[in-house]
Amino acid sequence: MSLGKLIERLIQLVPVLLGVSLIVFVMMTLTPGDPVQIMIGDQAVTPEQEAAMRRDLGLDRPIVERFFVFLGNAVTGDFGTSFYHRRPVLDVIAERLPATIELSLVALIVALLTSIPLGVLAAIRKNSIFDRIATVGSLLGVSLPGFWFGILLLMLFAVHLHILPVSGRIGYSAEIEPITHLLLIDTLLRGRFDAFLDALSHIILPAITLGLPMTAILMRVTRTSMLEVMRQDYVTFAEAKGLSRRRVIFRHALKNALIPTVSVAAIETGSLLGGNMIVETVFGWPGLGRLVVESIFLRNYPLVQAAVLFYAVTYVLLNFVADILYTVLNPRVKL
Amino acid sequence: MTSIARALLASSAVFLVTAPVASAADLIVGFTLDADTLDPANHRKRETETIIRNMYDGILTRDAEMRVVPEIAESMTQVSPTVYDFKIRSGIKFHDGSDLTAEDVKFTIDRVTREGAMGDGQTSPRQSLMGPVASAEVVDGDTVRITLKEPWPILPAMLPFQEVVSKAFVEKVGSAGLATMENGSGPFKLVEWRKGDAIIMERFEDYYGGASDIPPVGKACVDRVIFKIIPESASRVAALLAGDVDIINELPPFSVDQVKNNEGTDVMTVNGTRSFFIAMNMEGAYFDDPKVREAAAHAVDKDLIIDKILGGNAARIEGILSPDAFAASPDLRKYDYDPELSKQLLAEAGFPDGIEVTMDTEGAFKDTAEAIASLLTKGGIKTTVQVGEGAQLSDKWRTKGAPKSGDMYFTSWGNGSLDPYDIFTPTHKTNDRGNSAGYSNPEVDKLLDEAAVELDTARRADMYHQAEVIVNQDLPYVYLWVPQDIYGVSKRLKGWTPSADSRINLHDACVE
Repeated sequence: MSLGKLIERLIQLVPVLLGVSLIVFVMMTLTPGDPVQIMIGDQAVTPEQEAAMRRDLGLDRPIVERFFVFLGNAVTGDFGTSFYHRRPVLDVIAERLPATIELSLVALIVALLTSIPLGVLAAIRKNSIFDRIATVGSLLGVSLPGFWFGILLLMLFAVHLHILPVSGRIGYSAEIEPITHLLLIDTLLRGRFDAFLDALSHIILPAITLGLPMTAILMRVTRTSMLEVMRQDYVTFAEAKGLSRRRVIFRHALKNALIPTVSVAAIETGSLLGGNMIVETVFGWPGLGRLVVESIFLRNYPLVQAAVLFYAVTYVLLNFVADILYTVLNPRVKL
Repeated sequence: MTSIARALLASSAVFLVTAPVASAADLIVGFTLDADTLDPANHRKRETETIIRNMYDGILTRDAEMRVVPEIAESMTQVSPTVYDFKIRSGIKFHDGSDLTAEDVKFTIDRVTREGAMGDGQTSPRQSLMGPVASAEVVDGDTVRITLKEPWPILPAMLPFQEVVSKAFVEKVGSAGLATMENGSGPFKLVEWRKGDAIIMERFEDYYGGASDIPPVGKACVDRVIFKIIPESASRVAALLAGDVDIINELPPFSVDQVKNNEGTDVMTVNGTRSFFIAMNMEGAYFDDPKVREAAAHAVDKDLIIDKILGGNAARIEGILSPDAFAASPDLRKYDYDPELSKQLLAEAGFPDGIEVTMDTEGAFKDTAEAIASLLTKGGIKTTVQVGEGAQLSDKWRTKGAPKSGDMYFTSWGNGSLDPYDIFTPTHKTNDRGNSAGYSNPEVDKLLDEAAVELDTARRADMYHQAEVIVNQDLPYVYLWVPQDIYGVSKRLKGWTPSADSRINLHDACVE
């Protein structure tokens, strides 16, 4: 992959971001629901006081003007002030982002560590009882709604067995000076193994809930692709040479079978961010997803705009990473 | 599957030792929403206020019976219809150790009421909560005089919604600093705000003791208070059952039995301040006819729904006001459940075969709305429930006089001040912002306008009573109920009672 290609891809981001900005802006503004009315809530108010609030939020200006002001400021990295937090939206998003990234990464690791072995096993024991159970399990994994599965886990591990906490990221007494803002890493860097275990106990259930659909998808991709590869001539040849089955599977088949798994995983990582909204709500996880959902209901325009732009950039970049990984794993393909 | 379950159990058993164990003097509240900001003058959310109010005290506050009593003020005197004097207590300290003075109180009121006083040209979003306040001045050193542009009898009822900030601190850190730092004079001070996750506070050792009318007076009982943010109600209930938290708010009625039956937890209720009702579009095809509106009122069996769906946790109403509100009339005409009478009224209105209508509501109230719809249908008003999103429905129905579409709207209006001014006027005055029925009666408008500025309490109550009688006759809405606020609590909690204004004051709460 040349530097030229990389720059070309980055340039392609610009129209995507402009398009997303415009769509989000228009959709938010055209959706019925007035931020000022929502903010005032149930209260008697004079028209003058209402107008003053509208002016303070900058909502008294025409929509077109507001869009270009938003674009102009966004270019300089200023995404405006959150209507509710009364602080720059970038600050508010930055506070919540590490929790979301940490949860997504752990969910990704959980998904990769479980789906690949299960997929391979299901493929090499095709039509066995294990294969059937795994296939049905993966169907369930994709179909089970996160809010239901998450609460089931909570009831079992937190309420009945009392071995895991219900919600949050870490206990109240743990004070960890942030370095990366990812608690699992920071606690280890600070040498606080007790706090690490505490953080780990908090992240297990949300990570399993979030990672489950991805585990299911990746398992099926791995299984199919493994079956495909096992039928290839070079695998038959390797077996004919008298290589052990283990060696054939791990040295020859798996490497090639993983190509689709890796690219699907990269793309699915984007959807982990989206799936976060429900899991974060169920587990009281202080991430970005929950903040965005709350902000949509409150018509907190600046925050929703900035967050959706962030999601769009992440999604495009992850697709890009998937493409790169594909070329690395499969040198026959060029971007 | 069993091997997977075993593996999960085994892996989680490792964390047995690290599962959270609350220390004896930590009180943890499982709460629906995080604070938007810690600046008392820069938000419009009840939940934000609930959290902030444990770190900041106000000039006035409310006791458990919702009576307004002095807090930072020692006394309140009404000098004239538009002038109130508040004598400020001495010996009150802010969390940074500085003294709270009348200057701080004046500064607080100015910051909320003056245009652009928040800095950067911004006006406080809480300005409208202070009505027609014209100015605040310090007189005689320790007294703050609030002058109004016109008489506004509910000033004392609205002052508990404002918390006193330190002038020196705000000038030092600015509004931006006040959003994430605090320097109040309340019973607890901020330790750490983990945004979206928890707000951790500890006891303020130099606390002056709080309102002298609300015993016990003194420092807070618990060492630390933690507001743990758990937005999903099933998870909040799980946290309570697991012993992770001591109080949860917004316990769903369907979880009441589960919490009651669980060893170690209990349920506490308090009359809420939110009135539920069905708006009937008086500009629409059917509900312009009073007989059709009366038919609807007779078709809804409120007692049945309160009993079966709300678990008995609501008070029936015949007008917009909560039974606990100022001037609520206990003797209004009741429209009892009588579906045959409904059909007869419809026939008299020219609809012998009944009518077909839709009823808008939010997703959260779908079950209740469906129950109402089936009752209405039995009474000849064939009703289909349409679920919409809150802000969208508000836009559709609260049109301030602009034409509206739709037949019925199952909705509610809150009344934290328990004064009719904040609920009766917006929902019933011609073209006002909460008038979703499109109701207009000049006589009611006149009564509401006059009552808003009437200082004689008895006369004012009488005006609201007259208005209630007229409205009860005109029936722009089917008035339904005021639900109780339901809290789940751990049995180790002592000294705490829920309060009708939804505040969770933890000054007197102890844990065993």
